[in-house]
Amino acid sequence: MSGFPAGTAAAQGLACCHMCLKVAPEELDRCPRCRARLHLREPNSLQRTLALVATASLLYIPANVLPIMTTEQLGRAMDSTIIGGVVVLIHHGDYPIAAVIFIASVLVPLSKLFALSWLCWSVSRGQPSSHHERSRLYRAAELVGKWSMTDVFVVSILVALINLGGLLVITPGAAALAFGGVVVVTMLAAHAFDPRLIWDQLGESDD
Amino acid sequence: MTEAKATVSERRRISPIWLVPIVALALGLWMVIHTLQSQGPEITVVFSSGASIEAGKTKIKFRDVEVGLVDSVGLADDHESVVVIARVDKAAASLLREDTQFWVVRPRIGPGGVSGVGTLLSGGYLQLAPGTGKKGRHDFVGLDEPPVTPAGTPGLHFRMVAEESGSVNSGAPILYKKFRVGRVESAEFDVASQKMYYRAFIEEPYDDLVTSATRFWNASGISLSATADGIQVQTASIEALLVGGVVFGLPEGVEPGGPVEAGETFKLYDNYASVNEQPYHHAVEYVVLFPQSVRGLRTGAPVEYRGIRIGRVERVLIKEMAAKGFSGKGEPIPVLIRLEPGRLELPDSEEGAATMARAIERGVGNGLRVTLSTGNLLTGSLYVYFDVYSDEPPAEMGSFAGHPTIPAIAGGFEGIQVRLSALLDKLNALPLEELLDGVDRLLADVDAIVASEDLQSLPASLEETLAQLRGTLDSVSADSAMQERLLRTITEFDRTLQSLRGLLETLKEKPNALIFSSEPGEDPQPPAGSP
Repeated sequence: MSGFPAGTAAAQGLACCHMCLKVAPEELDRCPRCRARLHLREPNSLQRTLALVATASLLYIPANVLPIMTTEQLGRAMDSTIIGGVVVLIHHGDYPIAAVIFIASVLVPLSKLFALSWLCWSVSRGQPSSHHERSRLYRAAELVGKWSMTDVFVVSILVALINLGGLLVITPGAAALAFGGVVVVTMLAAHAFDPRLIWDQLGESDD
Repeated sequence: MTEAKATVSERRRISPIWLVPIVALALGLWMVIHTLQSQGPEITVVFSSGASIEAGKTKIKFRDVEVGLVDSVGLADDHESVVVIARVDKAAASLLREDTQFWVVRPRIGPGGVSGVGTLLSGGYLQLAPGTGKKGRHDFVGLDEPPVTPAGTPGLHFRMVAEESGSVNSGAPILYKKFRVGRVESAEFDVASQKMYYRAFIEEPYDDLVTSATRFWNASGISLSATADGIQVQTASIEALLVGGVVFGLPEGVEPGGPVEAGETFKLYDNYASVNEQPYHHAVEYVVLFPQSVRGLRTGAPVEYRGIRIGRVERVLIKEMAAKGFSGKGEPIPVLIRLEPGRLELPDSEEGAATMARAIERGVGNGLRVTLSTGNLLTGSLYVYFDVYSDEPPAEMGSFAGHPTIPAIAGGFEGIQVRLSALLDKLNALPLEELLDGVDRLLADVDAIVASEDLQSLPASLEETLAQLRGTLDSVSADSAMQERLLRTITEFDRTLQSLRGLLETLKEKPNALIFSSEPGEDPQPPAGSP
């Protein structure tokens, strides 16, 4: 039980059940209460997080390149991408809405991806320093992740509300699907990350 | 517990979760490759104006089906034109050929009616008209106006040349027996040659109607003609009246010729009358050197042989005459005439022309000469007249400015003058003095006869004879004794004849009355009761 700081449960061979959170000795292999498998830490947490972050990054490309919705006005179809929509809103002077969409659709997913990547990287490097920042970053990523679905909500609401036959029809584009995928996969990635890894490098003195 | 579980599980170094990004990447790559593969070629179309073309919105359509989309619209490097870059669907790539045409469809009002109304709301689009040439062209020059005939339409493309526009413009109908069979595609005025050039098209199957003998003439507007029957108004069609039109057909009495190649150039005549004036293609040209004034001889004046029209006057060769220099001795005036074999029922071909040329050559040897004749005494217009003057001195055909010449003799008023002076010369040459002397002598002889003795005594004896004659006549006059006796005798004779008539009638009724006496019968009575 070398890797774990002294005084932690893991150092004493105690694992916390993932399902029912019962603390049990790791040698039992299965939780005596709910029969779930016992691990000291979530297995392959870093790999899973990284894989999901990579998937989300891949999805993020079509989400921004492809049109998120198609506005068909009097027979003239107009495709709009996320960034294109933000630019149009800025041209129209709707700065608050532009800011909301920009933050929710660009800033938040990107920052979440970067945050998770950085967390994985720093954890694998095993640097004990700045664990407070890492903890804060993790919490922030967890918090804002939910709000990045705004864009998908906007599109789905517009599609549902605006359907005036030949006059004005809005249809979701391929990017909406990709963007939804980005949000879901980043949430899964954040979930796959075992935050205890952040503090595993800490010495007893720092606790 | 301690002995229970000593299972050492192999820690997998790579989590299967990596399949997720790999699948995502694979999917993404597949989509990219698929998109790239299904993407059609990129084409460049240059327009003079970018009106109603929008990047990312304007579509390329063929038969009203979308086959592409405009990617970008920008100015050319020299800012003289608009370069439109568009992406054509892969399935439609085979439509891009050497002669494929592009034009912008937008609402238009033209001779063919109103078009492109659908684009009022939806915005314009690029129309593609596939050609029939080689595939694989990607740079095109867009048309500013929709072509009258889409490329690849089966039919006959040809050209027409006219002296002036005559209100025939692009889109004007081409009519055959008043039925529209084609259209004028473009009309341009060539500054260098000062002529109108038209490109025209006749649809299949009507293109077979056009032969080498076909003539095209302008049928624009209204033709008014006032004749003894009244005023006639003629138009080809209402459309032709409004936008001009071209009619084609054969000149009177001309056989249809052979088939025509695409791109053939036809002359566009002003009207049907001028078609009939020049219905023949082939002709032989001669120069006639007239020794007299050609005042009144116009281009187009008829050339006749004993009253049959055989050609027309082309022009007076002033330039060629000047090129030879003037000697000041009264050069003959060279006139170019054009003789058409078709007018003499010879074939309107090279052979016909050769036949005619041989006939003329033979004729000149036999005294065929050309004169100028007065066609109209009031206007003094002249025409060229061929006839055989067998008593003319023999002459040969010469050459002038590359054309053979036909010997001319004086004719018309000039000819009359010449003959009159010849007559006067003959009169002058008569021995008038001697004649008068003879007459003088004759008169003197007559005088002598009259003055002779015998002739003087003749009246006296005549008078005597007349007096005797009067005496004789007096003896038989009305109051003479002889007359009275004669009358009495005649009266008595008359009376005798009347008494004799009674006897004759009695004898006629009863021939035996001289022998038997007769009793008169009773008078007949009418029967009673009769009406």
